[in-house]
Amino acid sequence: MDPLRSYLGRLLLEEITPVVMVLSTPLAEATCRKNGLSFVDMLSPFSLFKKIDVPVRTASEVPYRLQMFKIRMVYASDVRKEDCEVADERIKPVVSEANEKALPDLLSDPPQVEDVLGKPEAELCPLWIKKFNRELMRTLSFSEHETFDHPVACLLVVSSMDKEPVNKFVDLFNTNQLPSLLNEGIMDPQILKHYLVLHDQQEGPQDIAVNVLAEMRSTLGLNDCKLLCINSSTEAGGSNAENSWLPYKALGLNNHDGSCFLSVDDLNEIKDFMQDFVSNHIIPYMEQKIRVLNQQVAQTRKGFRNQIKNLWWRKRDDVPEASNGPMYTFTSIESQIRVLGDFAFMLRDYELALSNYRLLATDYKLDKAWKRFAGVQEMSGLCYFILDQSRKDAEYCMENAFSTYLRIGSSGQRNATRCGLWWAEMLKTRGQYREASNVYFRVSNEEPSLHSAVLLEQAACCYLLSNPPMLRKYGFHLILAGNSYYMSDQKQHAVRVYRNALFVYKQNPWSYINNHVHFNVGRWYGVLGILDVAIKHLLEVIACSHQSLTTQNMFLTDFFHYVQSMGKKFDVYKLQLPVFNMSSLKVIYEDHRTYASDADVSVSESTWQELEEELIPSSSIVRTNWLDTQPMRKYKDSCICVAGEAVKLNVELKNPLQIPVAVSGISLICQLSTTLDALSSDVSGLDLGGGEDKVNTEPSISMFETDGDKFTLSKLDIVLGGGESKRVQLDVTPKVEGILKLVGIRWTLSESVVGYQYFEFDAQKKIKKGKRGPRRSLNNSLVVIKGLPKLTGSIDRMPTKAFAGDLKLLTLNLRNHSEYAVKGIKMKLSSPRFLIPGDSLDIGLEFPDCLKRHMQSESSVVSSKTMKENFKSLLFAFPQDIEIQAGAALSWPIWFHAATPGNISLYISLYYEMGSSSDIKYRTLRMHFNLEVLPSLNVSFSISTSSSRLREYIVRMDVMNKTPSESFVLHQLSCVGGKWAVSALPSCSSINSVGTVSENQAVSYFFKIKDCEADSCKEAESGSCTSDMALCPGSSTDLFDIARSPLADFHYQERYRQGKVAQGPCSLLDFVLISKAVGNSSKPTPDFELLSHHTCHCSSLSQNPIWWLMEGPRTISHDFSKSYCEVNLQLVIHNSEAHKILVRVVTFDVMPEKSQTVHPHDSNSAQGGWYDVSLENDVKAISSSKSTHQEKQSSKSISPYVWCSLSCAQTELQPDSCARVPLKVCIFAPGTYNFSNYELQWKVHPSEGPHVDENEKLLSGGGLGHPFYVTVLQSV
Amino acid sequence: MASTACFVIVSKNDIPIYEAEVGSAPKKEDLSYHHQFILHAALDVVQDLAWTTNAMFLKSVDRFNDLVVSVYVTAGHTRFMLLHDSRSEDGIKSFFQEVHELYIKIFLNPLYLPGSRITSSHFDTKVRALARKYL
Repeated sequence: MDPLRSYLGRLLLEEITPVVMVLSTPLAEATCRKNGLSFVDMLSPFSLFKKIDVPVRTASEVPYRLQMFKIRMVYASDVRKEDCEVADERIKPVVSEANEKALPDLLSDPPQVEDVLGKPEAELCPLWIKKFNRELMRTLSFSEHETFDHPVACLLVVSSMDKEPVNKFVDLFNTNQLPSLLNEGIMDPQILKHYLVLHDQQEGPQDIAVNVLAEMRSTLGLNDCKLLCINSSTEAGGSNAENSWLPYKALGLNNHDGSCFLSVDDLNEIKDFMQDFVSNHIIPYMEQKIRVLNQQVAQTRKGFRNQIKNLWWRKRDDVPEASNGPMYTFTSIESQIRVLGDFAFMLRDYELALSNYRLLATDYKLDKAWKRFAGVQEMSGLCYFILDQSRKDAEYCMENAFSTYLRIGSSGQRNATRCGLWWAEMLKTRGQYREASNVYFRVSNEEPSLHSAVLLEQAACCYLLSNPPMLRKYGFHLILAGNSYYMSDQKQHAVRVYRNALFVYKQNPWSYINNHVHFNVGRWYGVLGILDVAIKHLLEVIACSHQSLTTQNMFLTDFFHYVQSMGKKFDVYKLQLPVFNMSSLKVIYEDHRTYASDADVSVSESTWQELEEELIPSSSIVRTNWLDTQPMRKYKDSCICVAGEAVKLNVELKNPLQIPVAVSGISLICQLSTTLDALSSDVSGLDLGGGEDKVNTEPSISMFETDGDKFTLSKLDIVLGGGESKRVQLDVTPKVEGILKLVGIRWTLSESVVGYQYFEFDAQKKIKKGKRGPRRSLNNSLVVIKGLPKLTGSIDRMPTKAFAGDLKLLTLNLRNHSEYAVKGIKMKLSSPRFLIPGDSLDIGLEFPDCLKRHMQSESSVVSSKTMKENFKSLLFAFPQDIEIQAGAALSWPIWFHAATPGNISLYISLYYEMGSSSDIKYRTLRMHFNLEVLPSLNVSFSISTSSSRLREYIVRMDVMNKTPSESFVLHQLSCVGGKWAVSALPSCSSINSVGTVSENQAVSYFFKIKDCEADSCKEAESGSCTSDMALCPGSSTDLFDIARSPLADFHYQERYRQGKVAQGPCSLLDFVLISKAVGNSSKPTPDFELLSHHTCHCSSLSQNPIWWLMEGPRTISHDFSKSYCEVNLQLVIHNSEAHKILVRVVTFDVMPEKSQTVHPHDSNSAQGGWYDVSLENDVKAISSSKSTHQEKQSSKSISPYVWCSLSCAQTELQPDSCARVPLKVCIFAPGTYNFSNYELQWKVHPSEGPHVDENEKLLSGGGLGHPFYVTVLQSV
Repeated sequence: MASTACFVIVSKNDIPIYEAEVGSAPKKEDLSYHHQFILHAALDVVQDLAWTTNAMFLKSVDRFNDLVVSVYVTAGHTRFMLLHDSRSEDGIKSFFQEVHELYIKIFLNPLYLPGSRITSSHFDTKVRALARKYL
């Protein structure tokens, strides 16, 4: 591409042109004013010659032809360097003018990527920007260090009406009126002068002017004088004149007040004059000047000798450094070279210009005249560009010039800008857009905000044009430009550039960027008064959770400010504040399944279904015939709700901000269509078309409000604190049958903005959800069926927290709110261990007295209803005659027992049938309770066999109070089953006084239990043998009857539970400990009254299959003086095993030494309640007090007694039977003796059967004898 | 330590997955969006530059006034971008390398979904410690 054809080339051709200085008399000006024009204005359209076709010969001998040429006409008064501020003021209108054009654009949609990328450069960089660039460059006109703005010629204009016109010419070129450039010697005052007489045809005939011209020619020279006649048209603004102006209007000739006396002839005359002036005077003058100057330069500077001289001279004559170097007058060689270069440049002899500029650059550099050096570099850069020789050189020169200008500080700043603009244009011409944008950006830093804004915008455009387009850079620079525009009070422009950048930041995850852009665009639109767009943009930022509190506040305040200035409420689709968590959305509706409370809905459907397995009739039972199934099938795919019953929708909303937000009127958007004919087709249609439907209904939110008579909606007002999230429940109650469609949610934010959001039902999702059960599906359409009876239920005083063992009588309250009766009520409970329904008799009873044993006769009531072997859940049918009438209520007792500590969920499902026929045969009421059971008393029992009595056990009960603050009174300990009798140990009858266990206390009690049945002793009849024992004083009279229904039932459950865990070889017996709470001073009425602890399957610690006991007299009086004493003893051996046992009894006289150390019960009895107490020491004490010779005997370690009769006996014991082995002992002296020197060895004979299994180790064994003390006294 | 330093990890989808102001200068609200703009714009340069070299550390790729953007590109085209005003290139390189190791550890976490936001507080602490050490 020819550089001259590029934009920069044309720019240079138009801007760097010879300047003609115009000096005119006031009368001449007045003549032109008639047309509303100044003289310069009148001539300037004709100063551009598109095809001048003039031959030019400069320094070289070869002439060439100039085609296009332009001169600049300037008044002498304007030939001066403009003040910076004034110049800037002149630029401002250029920008603000474009402002008004931009306004309609702002209302349209912002541009998209495709639009922007497809745009040509011209559209991206509109005309006004180029105009602005040009104006910015023109502020530098007539600077000292450049000569292309220095006037080449001077045009002196005198009116023919002036008196003494020749003298006027002299006056005009008076030195003190001339521009400072000429006066101060910066440029040569000897310039080309051209004289013009302006004649107004209306003022008189042309003769006067001709005379003047003749006079001028004689005095001023023949060729330099001209006559110009204007205003020949008689009528002002004739139609033909209008037309003749047209071609020139485009060139900038605008007459403002319409009156125009210029005829076509006048215009042609002006044109001819200008043509002649340029081709015959200006160009030849410049040619001549170039030749002269070239010769001079060649003389002084060209050639080796001159160069040496020049260098030496400059070195020696070291000039002091000034800010812009030494003063160069027009006579100095440097100025002359510059003039030569500029003239050559203007006459398009770029080679010549370049060689001169280069020559000059070295000089200025040596002189340290930096500004001039930069100017020269700039020009040589342009020369390189136009010659299209070396891109590198061109760029180097421009960069050099640019940085040099910047280095000299503020005086070079604007020059740097101009240089930058040229440079950028140069780079753009060559397609180096990225570098160009860099240059623009560098330039923008040096300029005031308005200029920098325009420059930044151009930089942004360059990024867009670069290949590949750098969109992010584009956006960023537009944002920077926007900020600068805003700072210089150009809001429209600011909005415009931000808008253009929007597409870059659309859907941008860079949160701060997003907020900044939308907030500023919104705010500025608001300032401009375009409120709807402003609000649209502000909506994007109001839900910014990551910003600081102040920023959030600012966003919100601005938003509400504009909303209020809108003056009306308006609807926003998908308002971001507050955020509705649509994944938390849950629709709760009740078909045949009803719920006691909302919390029950969250229990998974499978839990309920498992519970209700036996409760509800299977579906085949419901369908009695095929006709019956029809209505059900119709609704099969959709969910069913009942007219008059609320459909609830749970949704979580969250305030993302740190500022509290008031949300009011949260309600559902619903649709209820009652056309039943369309129903069946509609149901399927709605499911599939949910998505499209939403789109269709989106704009018309108001239409849903009209359905008020078909359903009622709940409205909810809440205030969400900072960062808070709340779950809300919204209700819609359909009133008529039909299809209810939940469409969306609407809410009002701070009384001013209505937000609404539609539910999005993804078809694909729905299929997946359908599998999970209908309850969870987000199906938005529900079939509303006729009103049905509905029971509501609750349990009175159902505790949420209880101590383990807590026993309570609760009431189940059922209420029928509808106008139909219900019947056939059944109930299923998930854990009968905790809840057992009572029977109707219990309702009036006073707890806990009802549990007490009233009369002896009643004690043997056995409840039959719990005897079903179902421990997982309990099915309870209410009596058939119970029917809950419309509006009636039913109360039913329920026993509660907190069986084990922990968190427990209890499920109850209540089944009832409709009294009247309806679509649904039955309904269920589901109740769910969460219970926390705290540990209270830890009760453990250990039982050990009594060694003194057969079939008697010693029981140690360890009670530990695990509560931190409660104390309990132990009330009663009972053994379950009539077989066992429990009693206090005779030695500690004072046990009754320690019945209270306070917090964190552990108490152990010892009891004796006895097998009543086997013993069949008379004690059973005497009444002292009871299975209950009172533990606290005064309670012996009001013992609780553990065989009565609730306690027995709960015990049955406990027994089953604990049986699973217990793994002893044989289970013996179960205990029930009943305790009461103590009301202490701080807690006068504890919320529990009675606790029952069930410990089941307790067994003896003893592992031996046999149980033996020595029987015989304990005290014997014998006269040892006569003979030794014989004592008859019996060893009773009992077989508690189910097998035959062979027992061998061995007696030995010598005391085995090890018997003291090896204790057969040592390991077991550590925890047990029974210990052997050795009385060996006592024996010695007694014997030593009696007589001294005993000591001798014992010291000899001879046994003080001798076994008589047999030393070994063997018996075989049948299962569960006793055998007696007679033994005889001889004693020789009085004293107390321990007859324990025997040993039992047994062997189990496994009975015929496969019973030889786990207790292999117990098949045989042995044991030493128990101590048996006999005191023998000397009878007197 | 640099007075201004803004560190961002950008996923290959150009989404910032980790952001931290690690400079010693007190954090200002209006600067954070400014930093984001600069870093976001620098992505354009990184896009070109990343394919011209084998090195992961691209050194300083872009500048805005006196702020420099240094970039490190991982093999998965995750970009670590640091906006800073200090000059120590070696420190920045070591910083990036160590952060890369931390990032790989995050990446190895089976519960971390590549391209999602890094919320680990441990990672944050470590990165800030590294910034104190090297920048």
